[in-house]
Amino acid sequence: MITATPKEKTFNMLFILPALALFLVFNLYPLLRTIQLSFYQWNGIDKDMVFIGFAQYKHIIFHNPAFWKSMLNAAYITLLCLTLQNGLALLLAILVNRQIRGENVYRVIFFLPPVLSGIVVGLIWKFIYDGNFGILNTCLAAIGFDQFKDFAWLSEIKTALSSVAVVHMWKGFGYGFIILLAGLQTIPNELYEAAEVDGADKWQQFVNITIPSMIPVFTLVTILTILGAMQIFDLIYSMTQGGPAGHTDVPITKIYQFMNNGEFGYSTAMAVIFGMVLLIVSILQLYTSKKFNK
Amino acid sequence: MSKVNIGTVIKAFCMLFAIFAISGCSDTSSTGSSAGSEDVVKIWHWMTDRQEAFEKLTEQYYKETGVKVVFETYAPSDVYKNKITAAASGHLLPDIFNPQSDKKELASYIKAGYIADLTDAMNDGWKDVFFEKSLIENSFEEGNEWGVKPGIYGVPLDVSSLMIYYNKDLFKQAGLDPENPPVTWAEFIEAGKKLREAGIQPFVSGFGEAWLIGAFAASYEWSLLGKQGIIDTIDGKIPYTDSRWLKVFKLFEEMKDNKMFASGIVTMVNKDAERTFATGRAAMTFNGSWGINVYKSMNSSLNYGIMYPPSLPDAQYPLLVFGGDGSSMFVNGESPRKDKAIAFLKWFTQRPQQSFLAENTLNIPSNKESAQDLPEVLQEFSKSITRTFDSLPKLEAWQVTNYINLNLQSVIIGEKDPVRAVNEVQGEKERQMKK
Repeated sequence: MITATPKEKTFNMLFILPALALFLVFNLYPLLRTIQLSFYQWNGIDKDMVFIGFAQYKHIIFHNPAFWKSMLNAAYITLLCLTLQNGLALLLAILVNRQIRGENVYRVIFFLPPVLSGIVVGLIWKFIYDGNFGILNTCLAAIGFDQFKDFAWLSEIKTALSSVAVVHMWKGFGYGFIILLAGLQTIPNELYEAAEVDGADKWQQFVNITIPSMIPVFTLVTILTILGAMQIFDLIYSMTQGGPAGHTDVPITKIYQFMNNGEFGYSTAMAVIFGMVLLIVSILQLYTSKKFNK
Repeated sequence: MSKVNIGTVIKAFCMLFAIFAISGCSDTSSTGSSAGSEDVVKIWHWMTDRQEAFEKLTEQYYKETGVKVVFETYAPSDVYKNKITAAASGHLLPDIFNPQSDKKELASYIKAGYIADLTDAMNDGWKDVFFEKSLIENSFEEGNEWGVKPGIYGVPLDVSSLMIYYNKDLFKQAGLDPENPPVTWAEFIEAGKKLREAGIQPFVSGFGEAWLIGAFAASYEWSLLGKQGIIDTIDGKIPYTDSRWLKVFKLFEEMKDNKMFASGIVTMVNKDAERTFATGRAAMTFNGSWGINVYKSMNSSLNYGIMYPPSLPDAQYPLLVFGGDGSSMFVNGESPRKDKAIAFLKWFTQRPQQSFLAENTLNIPSNKESAQDLPEVLQEFSKSITRTFDSLPKLEAWQVTNYINLNLQSVIIGEKDPVRAVNEVQGEKERQMKK
């Protein structure tokens, strides 16, 4: 085995310097600066920042119910995505994986919504849901549901959050679909052939071959879904601005709102708490999936 | 293949690093403007609809003085505001800008040296050309609570106020007199009922935007509590559970009970509300004077009139409207072209330029002499400038203001009754006072 000399090792290390520099400047520094700012009272303009320790953390945790309500709103959207969105993505991935005609066309169609701009999607769906002009109400009225004439989907407490969640799922299921399809295609065909020889029906094959083989992929999709849904912002911003009366507020809109009102220190403390929650959820998810893998 | 020399690679890397470092550490004060363009006065604004008119004026200014002025647009306004905040942190503000902030934040900009004191220039006769109310929000009085040196810091480009637009054709359709719109609250509600009976949505506004619902409510807050009452509330001497505050919330409940509000009003942004009104899907709308230009572009045949928000017969104070300076500009205190920037703004706010802007953008000019040249509908708005709120010496915590607006939305959608709403606002007030 040829080992590199110290000079060669130094030379090789030079190649990672640009990437390292980018990481330090654009990832690590903002992260550390965010954590640092969270201990200060600062409006983003004053030249002096006032160190106040954990006071902002304490206030967020014990005296800011709106932030925790926004967290619950995001959790509700996440729950819908984990079940309905991923369920649909898995179903479609299984169907497309059966080598049907026009497989690539379906892939493109299903992957279109995720690549569209969130703001644009939000504005389009806002028109669809609109109580005055919306296509949805027009269609519902056309098939006999006259009670939905003038119904404002995004302004009713009972429907606002779910309506936004539907759009998020529509926009996001394509990611899960592509990853799950890629995962399905890595399962060797021989396993299914052997199972068939042993007399296993399709359902048994699905439960005993597909699901166990896909656990690492499910883990990945689950984590991406949780992170994506919890950090939803553009759709809320363009569709409801957090309304009606804060019923569609999510953590990022709250952070944005505080930052927009010159509460830089406070909003970074919110961001750190939110980041910690996401980190804990992701670690728990990884831990659980490792247990399943065993 | 020739062998690469480590020393050469290190030198190349160091050189690249040095180039970035030097460019990053160069003197960037007021750089929005400085980068290689010493004679260019740079202005950042968010008013996309006025860009063409602005450019025509800057061309004229260049011909007259040889000074190049560039208007750069960044919209929407919250994106613009974030850009300004980030630029201030990096000392990269342009020569002229607007921090889009309330007075408290404006004070921070001034104290940090990002905004120049224009008092001397204004006292040279300049301030006399403006509507008095348009200067209030840009001025600080002796002993102000933010500790800012008394003076004038901003230049109003135009003024605005918020009134109710009503569709004359829809009024006629509902059997209402289009030349005599409602004046009192009772007449307003009665008109709403007739419109609803005629299958017309009575009232729309961008109440999904907190400031707009707040501006509508503010007319009644001022009418019921007066300036001192509002100051006393900010000081905690009058609770939000006071009967006058409760009355404000009850007005919204009354509108809801009489089905005055258009569908989806609580999540509607102003642009959507403007479209709803312009297309005849609602008979009345609460909007600013800029709406004239918007409605003209959306539906040039829209037949509408202007009215004040309806007054309350039992109110102790006169009904005032939200307004004053529409958009103001501030000179960067760190700019090396401060004098050129001030000279341009002086020229820009003279009567010919202001009349040109009024004619081309249908906004009310801040120069009161130019306001005499306005079309009739703008004259109506122009008159209302004298009926706008006074400046307050202190501000309510934004969290409380936000709570008021959210609870007004809750009343509109029937989630809370006014009593519960004011109690929750008071709860937030107490939380903020403890903070």
